[in-house]
Amino acid sequence: MYLNKNLGFILFFLLVANFTFSQEKFTLSGVVSDTKNKETLIGVSIFIQETKTGIISNEYGFYSITLPKGDYTISISYIGFQSIEEKISLNQNTKKNFLLSESSEVLEEIVVIDTKKRVNIRKPEMSVNKLTIQEIKEMPVVFGEVDIIKSILTLPGVTNAGEGQSGFNVRGGGADQNLVLLDEATVYNSSHLFGLFSVFNPDAIKDLKLYKGGIPARYGGRLSSILDIYQKEGNKNDFHLTGGIGLISSRILAEGPIVKDKGSFLIAGRGSYAHLFLKLADNPNLAYFYDLNTKLSYSLNEKNNIYLSGYFGRDVFQLNDSFVNTYGNSVLNFRWNHLFSEKLFSNLSMIYSDYYYGLKLDIIGFNWDSGIKNYNIKYDFKHYLTDKLKLTYGLQSNYYDFNPGKIEPTRPDSGINADQLDRKYALENAIYIDAEQQISEKIAISYGLRASSFLRLGQQTLNTYANNQPVTFNPSFLIYESSEPTGTVSYGKNETIAQFENLEPRFSISYVLNENQSVKASYNRMTQYLHLISNTQSPTPLDVWAPSDQYLKPQLLDQVAVGYFQNLNNDDYSLEVETFFKKIKNRVDYIDGANLIANEALERVVLSGRARAYGLEVLFRKNTGRFRGWLSYTLSRTEQQVEGRTAVETGINNGDWYKTGFDKLHNLAVVANYKLTEKWRFSANFTLQTGQPVTFPDGQYQYEGITVPNFSSRNENNLPLYHHLDVSATLTPRKNKGRKWQGEWVFGIYNLYNRQNAASITFSQNKDTGSNEAIRLSIFGLVPSATYNFKF
Amino acid sequence: MKTLYIKLLVLTVLFSSCEKVIDVDLETGKPRLVVEASINWYAETTGNEQQIKLSTTTSYFSSVIPPVVGATVFITNSTNQVFTFVENETPGLYKCSDFIPVLGDNYTLTIIHQGETYTSTETLLNTPVVTRIEQDNEGGILGEDIEVKFFFDDIENETNQYFLRIDDPYKVIPEYGVLEDRFFQNNEMFGLYFSEELKVGDTLKFTSNGVSLNFYNYMNILLAQTGTTSAGPFSTPTSTVRGNMINQTNFNNFALGYFRLSKTEVKEYIIEE
Repeated sequence: MYLNKNLGFILFFLLVANFTFSQEKFTLSGVVSDTKNKETLIGVSIFIQETKTGIISNEYGFYSITLPKGDYTISISYIGFQSIEEKISLNQNTKKNFLLSESSEVLEEIVVIDTKKRVNIRKPEMSVNKLTIQEIKEMPVVFGEVDIIKSILTLPGVTNAGEGQSGFNVRGGGADQNLVLLDEATVYNSSHLFGLFSVFNPDAIKDLKLYKGGIPARYGGRLSSILDIYQKEGNKNDFHLTGGIGLISSRILAEGPIVKDKGSFLIAGRGSYAHLFLKLADNPNLAYFYDLNTKLSYSLNEKNNIYLSGYFGRDVFQLNDSFVNTYGNSVLNFRWNHLFSEKLFSNLSMIYSDYYYGLKLDIIGFNWDSGIKNYNIKYDFKHYLTDKLKLTYGLQSNYYDFNPGKIEPTRPDSGINADQLDRKYALENAIYIDAEQQISEKIAISYGLRASSFLRLGQQTLNTYANNQPVTFNPSFLIYESSEPTGTVSYGKNETIAQFENLEPRFSISYVLNENQSVKASYNRMTQYLHLISNTQSPTPLDVWAPSDQYLKPQLLDQVAVGYFQNLNNDDYSLEVETFFKKIKNRVDYIDGANLIANEALERVVLSGRARAYGLEVLFRKNTGRFRGWLSYTLSRTEQQVEGRTAVETGINNGDWYKTGFDKLHNLAVVANYKLTEKWRFSANFTLQTGQPVTFPDGQYQYEGITVPNFSSRNENNLPLYHHLDVSATLTPRKNKGRKWQGEWVFGIYNLYNRQNAASITFSQNKDTGSNEAIRLSIFGLVPSATYNFKF
Repeated sequence: MKTLYIKLLVLTVLFSSCEKVIDVDLETGKPRLVVEASINWYAETTGNEQQIKLSTTTSYFSSVIPPVVGATVFITNSTNQVFTFVENETPGLYKCSDFIPVLGDNYTLTIIHQGETYTSTETLLNTPVVTRIEQDNEGGILGEDIEVKFFFDDIENETNQYFLRIDDPYKVIPEYGVLEDRFFQNNEMFGLYFSEELKVGDTLKFTSNGVSLNFYNYMNILLAQTGTTSAGPFSTPTSTVRGNMINQTNFNNFALGYFRLSKTEVKEYIIEE
């Protein structure tokens, strides 16, 4: 059905585009790479001085721009690299590859003016943050473990529930509403050790981009953000080893050419030390994580490149064989870049991704497996029509195989009955088209549409309920209860159980006030067909993903954002101010006491609600000089509401709006780097946030010999103010110069003034005296660290 | 209980030794009636003697639980026989000595307090007997605690829930757990307890009650909110735990607590070598 609508939309595009072919035009295209290792560079600005138009190199380093015949001056600039300016006479289609050199390597003592990271004033793109791996590596972090997810928490609009908690929240969205892509493949759980570290090995990562709003149509399937992470391809010039030895983990990466200038490989491994946190003596116990990143890149010819990349990571906890817990992601991805012409770039991705969770609990004779498998095909096109118009379009298809849980007895004498909860299957398809267009000297727009569909497929037996209500309200006790099924319906293999279609328009506009200032606005609608079934403050590895069905409706989001962007003092500084409002439909919440584990009929514990978030974000950066860094501040509110379905029902929290567990009214982060000499670099990071919303008891009573705290309104209290200052110093010995072996020491102190931040406050009875007390749990006090990194 | 336990374990392993007792200013809500009406028919007794406790909520850090005195308390059975509970010397404790327990019979509890009438109707449920007890000196998650399992057979061909209690000589507060027969239908089930403090000669008291699904849910929520896992990243949202007492006079002024009737199985076990 939606295909027809979409055709109409494409026609509309063509009308808007209003092509003019009055002049003879030629295309300049090519790939931008790093001189040192031929690693392609993402997001390089290729700017034509004469026409004041430009293009950004894509995820594969490719660029293409079509201009009238003539002479042009082209500036190629990229953060941390020396800018190039080149004159070109364009009188035929021209292939031009650029090589950029890292600024620090070329000019040593001169403070580089080329490492600017000015805000792109002209592009309609907004609500997007980029961090280079270099910036991430310079931030001081707990235990010295460079962490990609933790680093994005210093950006405006990004928070998490609390220290050491997993996942992240973007503009008030749930942790399950982020699409985390590693080389275009979905990663379902981005945390190691329950959120203490993230699953990405920083050495293997090239670049990341976080979309918080104005999300292009080529992304979909999650509501709140897209974290697009690209792995390095591997050095195409020579063989290198990079590694590091830290307090928590060690890492090693090998990269090099397979066929010089044509193919390269990268393999990276990281592992934490066993017995990491377990100081329990005389016990055969283990707690560790490891991950492996691999990538093969091969250039078949000028027009064809292929990539094979993989990721495999696991967390393992083991106590004395009676408790074994294993979980993690694996990803395998084959991609083929093909140039149909200088103007038409394509990428075909075939991706397998899975998440596995396993638990063996021998003490009660119980073994548990759950997970999600995902097969994904994407065919994406980038069509560089003119210097003023670029189209992006493509198709995406996802097949999901959910294993909500399989239970087995571990021993013959176990009383556990084996059970496989019904597997769930679904197919998610999408087609999209997006246009980026320079309308006039001052106005650029980007507009697109994504048409998505979701089919929930059999084979499965589903319950039916009286009045179609799997949750009933008990008006005497004012509680929600699971309904008893009235019958079942069986669906055959691949039979459609439920079907959804959604149109997701995307729009953004920039209006240039002058060379250094612009205002931008954007709107995006997103649909999310998967739900992370989690009733805890922050997600746990045990949480299962569930597809939408007749009871669990797809989540829908509408977001608008307006922003002001300015580059100051010849781009030394930049300022971005944005305000956003978003609302979400069909956000699930749970009835009190909902049992989510091994629940065959989740609809019986789920209530549907809505969510909203609004806020103001400020990002002020100093881009140049010895001293660099940024200050980000977010003022925001994020709330959820579940109203009763009828006048009698109370909903959750009496139907009133309540703050979500990751609401942070104020959130300030300051990140600063200072390069004293070639030998010493210093970094500092300060975070200040409103304490996490929590519910404190408003009384107590006694029942069956125990004291029960009585709770009322949800999340009306806050933990104390959260803040810490972290510092680090990097020592690069002078003897490195001209040597093959390059070593560096990073010394860090997390939480310098040893602030005992509350991760939680628990109200319970003292085990010895029986009297009530409030216990504050602090996760990290002052944590010193030292890491040695090397490269040769 | 199982899963909470696992999460708790991992958490404590990861983040031990950073806990501190602190002062927190708390607000106190308006007091509510709290009903502890647990009718336990101990095996091999007539079950005639029963008691009901009435109190109110109070500020969280208060050391005194205010008893409710002067209330009218009685239970009627399905044949409208009335069993009156009379307040004796302990304030807030109401006793009856002529209660007649019948398995499967429906009973209605009525409490009249400050001119408001609270009622609740429940069924007296059966409880399986403990068939055997096993001790393992290399038990617990770490294999170094004394672990005791109390076995019983699930009541056949019906969905059952059990409310279990352990009295440990080293603990001031009884340990509770609720169990459902979901994965154990018609099989042998067990209550499991382990502690590093237990020594040879110590007595463990195991108490089991068959309970309704509603009570199972009630106790599940209540225990989740009282334990040490009631806050933090792996906790679930807290709220007022609603029991089964209905205020017939003023609906919104509901009472907390629960009216429950069960056959009660008690087994004492002395830790062996």
